[in-house]
Amino acid sequence: MKKFEIRYGAVGGQGIITAGALLVDIAVEMEGKFASESPTYTAAVRGGPTKVDVIVADERIDFPHATAIDFFLCTDQRPYDIYKDRIKDDAIVVVDSHLVRELGDTRRWKVYAVPIINETKVGAGNVVLTSVVSLAVTQKLTNIVTYEHMVEHIKHWAPKGAVEMNMKAIEVGMNLIQ
Amino acid sequence: MSARKVLQGNIIIAKAALAAGCDFFAGYPITPSSEIAQYMSKEMPRMDRTFIQMEDEIASLGACIGASLAGRKTMTATSGPGFSLMQEHIGMAVMAEVPVVIVNVQRGGPSTGMPTKPAQADMMQTRWGTHGDHPIIALYPAFADEMFSETVRAFNLAEKYWNPVVLLSDEVLGKAHMDVEIPDPGTYEVYWEKPHQVVDLNIYDRQIGENPPRVDFFKGYPIHIDGLEHDAHGWPSFDAKTVDKMQRLRMQKIYQNLDDIIRYKEYYLDDAEVLVFSFGISARSALAAVKAAREQGVKAGLFQALTVWPFPRAALQERFQRTKKVLTVEMNLGQMKYEVERVAPPGVEKRTLLRANGMPFSPDEVLAAIKELAK
Repeated sequence: MKKFEIRYGAVGGQGIITAGALLVDIAVEMEGKFASESPTYTAAVRGGPTKVDVIVADERIDFPHATAIDFFLCTDQRPYDIYKDRIKDDAIVVVDSHLVRELGDTRRWKVYAVPIINETKVGAGNVVLTSVVSLAVTQKLTNIVTYEHMVEHIKHWAPKGAVEMNMKAIEVGMNLIQ
Repeated sequence: MSARKVLQGNIIIAKAALAAGCDFFAGYPITPSSEIAQYMSKEMPRMDRTFIQMEDEIASLGACIGASLAGRKTMTATSGPGFSLMQEHIGMAVMAEVPVVIVNVQRGGPSTGMPTKPAQADMMQTRWGTHGDHPIIALYPAFADEMFSETVRAFNLAEKYWNPVVLLSDEVLGKAHMDVEIPDPGTYEVYWEKPHQVVDLNIYDRQIGENPPRVDFFKGYPIHIDGLEHDAHGWPSFDAKTVDKMQRLRMQKIYQNLDDIIRYKEYYLDDAEVLVFSFGISARSALAAVKAAREQGVKAGLFQALTVWPFPRAALQERFQRTKKVLTVEMNLGQMKYEVERVAPPGVEKRTLLRANGMPFSPDEVLAAIKELAK
């Protein structure tokens, strides 16, 4: 089975669980793939370290938690320290360059340190768009769903009146990775 | 566009319950089952069905029993602490022969334990939690499509056999969002016997092995429904002959219909040298492990119980004629392993992979145990 495993790590409230939910919706509903998403949901969800594991596959997924991660995106030091296990050699690791300072040994990975949160605030105009910015970063680096499907889904998903700012967030995400 | 959608496990169960015709839900929300009550509270009023949030789990099941006697298809959903509170009324539903579906999304116990962590440690409580000799049906899906089909089946079995049915799940399955294709109505069986008028008052009068009828209670007939042992009329009776018959009636309505009640799935078992026995989330780890073992040349297979009670004894026994090594994988410190041991004949090597720390087994842990046993 071809399988791609993604983990998003953040502190609760940054919107990272939404990024996972958006990604599986696009993969399943628009691309007919198999996908699952397992978020943490403890009392820590607001303000504490949180993660979501997303698996996208071309057949039914047996075990729904990540076991060999291909792509890890993390926007805070604490979840980075806790959740950076089971990451494959040659995996892509994206961290927020302001909020994740201590990376440890990253020789096995391809690392992108970019100012996700700051660019979301400045470029997209509102930090709540971190989810969509992170999704765009994921799309650009992994191509796990197509750019067109991502844009179409976000247009449908975004509340009326917020479509434009969400499109802006996609642009910010795409531009973060050069 | 795909017909498949991404839904949370708890929501799949709620949707399936509505599809099975559940028109009465009484519950008290508890992690990790709360989304079931939440979804029902939103959807049922729109469908002109009844949702009640009760003051606790005892009252929740009590309300379901009453509504069921009034002809409703009823469900409640809970987790460990609530399931403990429900034990008395489970006995009442067994004794009075009342159909009801009880969902238990298992979390770490005992007591309030670990609300946000998975466990499979209510397996024996599900079987024997309420006192006295009694039959119980318990189903435990593992995959998204099974969460739909087994929920519908739970209602069918409850209605058919007039018995409470426990639908087991766990925190991982309840909280994971999975792709699933919700089948169209009409593509699956929904069992429903319209309550019929009472012809005589001996509602419990039937021969051993006969299914009980769906009677229209609360229509002006002086019918007695009681937790006390009773005669055919429902009145308390401790007459030894009557009691013996009633005890056997209740047991046999389940145990004479095992072919209808027991479901399981078998993966790669035909030439397996190691049989992995598992259920729920652990069966999903085990299936991934079995596939990995096969890739490494180890002949492993999975027996996944969908009906956990009554235990799928005959089907498993059949497999032990050929396969002489068994690994039971469960998230507790040893519960269903005893059932496997009772079934496995001498000469079958029995091992376990057990854990109760809130962490589901990863496939590589199961794989290591398979390889160890295969040596």
